Amino acid sequence: MLGLGGGVFLVPLLNVALGLPLRTAAAISLCTVIATSSTVSAGQAGAQLINIRLGMVLEVATVAGSLLGGLTAHLFSESALQRLFGVVAILTAAAVLSRINRRNVIFDPMAQPGGLGGQFFDEESERVVTYRVTRLPAALLASFAAGNLSSLLGIGGGILKVPALNTWCGVPVRAAAATSAFMIGVTAAGGAIIYYGRGDLPALLAAPAVLGVQLGSWAGLRLAGGVPAKWLKVLLIVVLVLVAALMFFRSAR
Amino acid sequence: MTAPPSSTDDRGFESALGRLLGIGVLASSACLALGLALTLLRPDEGAQRALLTSGLVLLMATPIARVAVSAFTYARRRDWLFAALTGIVLLELFASVAAALR
Repeated sequence: MLGLGGGVFLVPLLNVALGLPLRTAAAISLCTVIATSSTVSAGQAGAQLINIRLGMVLEVATVAGSLLGGLTAHLFSESALQRLFGVVAILTAAAVLSRINRRNVIFDPMAQPGGLGGQFFDEESERVVTYRVTRLPAALLASFAAGNLSSLLGIGGGILKVPALNTWCGVPVRAAAATSAFMIGVTAAGGAIIYYGRGDLPALLAAPAVLGVQLGSWAGLRLAGGVPAKWLKVLLIVVLVLVAALMFFRSAR
Repeated sequence: MTAPPSSTDDRGFESALGRLLGIGVLASSACLALGLALTLLRPDEGAQRALLTSGLVLLMATPIARVAVSAFTYARRRDWLFAALTGIVLLELFASVAAALR
């Protein structure tokens, strides 16, 4: 409901509450990320919010990052991964906190989107809006980092990509979230396959997680509509700070 | 850069990819739900193990299929830049599979 895969919450839950190793928690979470990505993209396809071309370009970087992360995950200690998770959660909270309501769209209907830009129907202003993509190297770099963290920590990586695309590259936030959701399935698949091959993915635990997340995202879409966006963001920040504190606490023991 | 794509073309393409993803995730969920139900009813049988495994493999294969279909579509449209880019993504995913099977 916020353009995030939900792995930020699921991994600590599996790791801390159920006592699973972080690697197993990450592997299970990656499966739920794939399911969320496929479900959300299937539901949004046709609305032209997903920038397929931009997504394909960035996937080159993000899958490379996830491949590297999947291959190196076993080199890190449990507590190092937990600390990394805590840092990412804090940074996410800061990014959500600082997100101001700026718009990247051009209202002129004759404007050219360029090779990678796009156009979509904006519900807020009730007209077709255009945007251009700037600073592609920054987007590629953010995507590589997102893919890397995705594999290591079991998160989707939308946390890094959505703010980067929005603040640096001129992509409107709704298009950035839709494009990120479209990409994270491929990113997570790259990492999940490697965990699966290493035997870090127990099917009996992954199955209920995947099914539960799909029910949850469906319910979340229903609920989120009635709640002001600001409250959602405040709730998200509070939970993220708690998660970070929990992870630092665990890694210190 | 290439010329901007005609929007009707891309909309059809987007819907086709959306359908592919929807079918993939549905088939995988069906396998997982059935496998889980069988496990709860009658543990220690080979059938649910196979169902759970195929559910997970289907889940992971769905995004790969999406990339493969994209690469094929771009190649058929002679959009070589994007055919090459999606081809690279596909190769990276195959590298993951190769690393997993090792």
